[in-house]
Amino acid sequence: MTMLGYQNKVLRVDLTKKGAKTEPLRMDWAEKYIGSKGLAIKYMYEELKPGIDPLSPENKLFLTTGPMTGTPIPCSGKLSIAAKSPATGTMNDCSIGGHSALQIKYAGYDMIILEGALKEPGYLLIEDGNVQFKDAKVLWGRGSHETEMLLAEKHGHDHSILSIGPAGENLVPMACINSDYYRQAGRGGIGAVMGSKNLKAIVIKGTGGVKIPDIVESTKKITQILREDTLQEDNTFIYDFGTTAFLEACSDGGILPRKNFSDVTDENWTKYNGEVLLEKKVGKRGCGSCGLGCGNFLKFGDAIVEGPEYESIAVAGPNAGIDDPEAIVKFNQVADDMGLDTISAGDTINFAMEMTEKGVHDFGIRFGDKEKQIEYLKLMAKREGVGADLALGVRKLAEKYGGEDYALHVKGLEYPQYEPRGSWGMSLAYAVSDRGACHMRAYAPNEEVFAASIPPYTAEGKGEMVYNLAVFNAIKFSLCICDFWATISFERMAELMTLVTGKEWTEQDMKDVGERVIHIARAFNQREGFDRKDDTIPKRLINEALQSGPAAGQKIPQEAFDDMLDQYYAVLGWDKNGIIPEDILCRL
Amino acid sequence: MILPVLSSLMERSIMKITIQLRGSLVKYFQGEKERTVEVPDNCTAEEALRTVGIDWTAVKNFGFVAVNGKRVMIYDHLKEGDELKAYPKISGG
Repeated sequence: MTMLGYQNKVLRVDLTKKGAKTEPLRMDWAEKYIGSKGLAIKYMYEELKPGIDPLSPENKLFLTTGPMTGTPIPCSGKLSIAAKSPATGTMNDCSIGGHSALQIKYAGYDMIILEGALKEPGYLLIEDGNVQFKDAKVLWGRGSHETEMLLAEKHGHDHSILSIGPAGENLVPMACINSDYYRQAGRGGIGAVMGSKNLKAIVIKGTGGVKIPDIVESTKKITQILREDTLQEDNTFIYDFGTTAFLEACSDGGILPRKNFSDVTDENWTKYNGEVLLEKKVGKRGCGSCGLGCGNFLKFGDAIVEGPEYESIAVAGPNAGIDDPEAIVKFNQVADDMGLDTISAGDTINFAMEMTEKGVHDFGIRFGDKEKQIEYLKLMAKREGVGADLALGVRKLAEKYGGEDYALHVKGLEYPQYEPRGSWGMSLAYAVSDRGACHMRAYAPNEEVFAASIPPYTAEGKGEMVYNLAVFNAIKFSLCICDFWATISFERMAELMTLVTGKEWTEQDMKDVGERVIHIARAFNQREGFDRKDDTIPKRLINEALQSGPAAGQKIPQEAFDDMLDQYYAVLGWDKNGIIPEDILCRL
Repeated sequence: MILPVLSSLMERSIMKITIQLRGSLVKYFQGEKERTVEVPDNCTAEEALRTVGIDWTAVKNFGFVAVNGKRVMIYDHLKEGDELKAYPKISGG
């Protein structure tokens, strides 16, 4: 069975034996999980043996596109990279922008699976059907930016490059994979998995195309959808402001964290808000197939980044007690080059700052220490000096030195920068997220803060709210549609699927796939021993009330959190312990 | 005696506030971000926005309102000198 929109082909690379072969894509799985996130998790569930060490050759990297990748459908250029996470032991799928997804598809593949490990540092060169294993000893130890520049000069700037920095080489569990210099598959140590395979980079160029039904009529319809849906004001703000627009809204909304989540709303936020940052804009960029172009290049002194995005601004700024925009941009640039996830690396440093301030353990850094913050990133990536400890991440640092009361993580993945005491549903979203604390699985502030449609400081209705948000994102990311096409509906997704595959899809199909993706991710984690005991809320959110902002006085009672968890499990048909019953498991 | 009382009532009946619009909502101020306006004393955020021609229930992408840097409910009351901010919906991460 084949389907239009797909290449119907997987490239399977054996890094140990330095061999590559193609095989048909499992279309029976594609029908149930579509592509990108969902399909990657299904493959991971079927192919990874339970209990494997995420940093062993038994782990695999699944680079997965979707049926819309490489078509004229806007905002469809993202790539899912999945593997078992060394940070959490859960499944982990990351979404990365840039152009690599299109190159993979144009090279003739829906998916590339990387197995085993190279014996010595190397990189992969994939040009259509030609796969070559190249020596990377000269690149090993270099930053991601320099690595990408050298490889682009050697193989051509028309190739896409996915690379790791020193953090990935040194198996730091918060290492990311970079592409197009400033785009990241950021979370859960996906870069460490690549490093464990001695794989410094993947260089890829495709020259083919993607077949969809009746290209002329389809393109007309897609152009109309672009004009009428994608390019609405609700979406185009991202072109003008990028995610810097979130800073002021989060500050006013009472969910901008400050000093390791000890409070919210930094009085100095105007020093580094979107308007200040965007004064330094020197360029714009979007991913392949993008209709919105969220990327802003900012230059402060000798530091230049595409961004910084809201998460990086918040973690390196107010959550670190820093209000200097140049320091924030520099932090972002160094983290990218070192190949570190800004969220986890920033949170870990912020935790160390509080530990030092409280006299629990002296890490030699305090809130506001912007020079050391950047120096520590480099030490973490290389596991040198104090960086050897900090590279452990918040959970393991707390286990080693204390500070569990203000260690903000779920399952070992550090907290993103939306403070849940101002948006209670977010504590549930973080707790039940398949890869640990992630804001991309269900984005509760949308409902509780920014749209003000659901009261934020109550448990009531939050199970269903988070479920609805999670189903929406699960299908959206399985189609490989970018988060910033915010107005897309289930109905529109079904329409687009019908356009590219020629097969009829309904709104209900989309919802069913979304729910199935949540189940399969949970099933992977369940097999690894995860259950309710791991769907946690950090103690700080239960024990300490916020002191300022609109949510002043708010904390989340344990009973309220437990209630939200019960509601969420019930909507999905899981038992009280968060276990998926057999009748659902056997349908996956 | 009547005039001073009326005058006092009238003074209390009007107050000055600042309304700031964010993102795509600036179109309601023809591109300006901020205006100082006179509104009925003790009015709600909803009423204040109506005085400048914004019926939030009719704005498809209306998000939320904040007063003096803190999110409030649309039916919360304002006082003299308040800075009312209105946001469009924000989505994403």
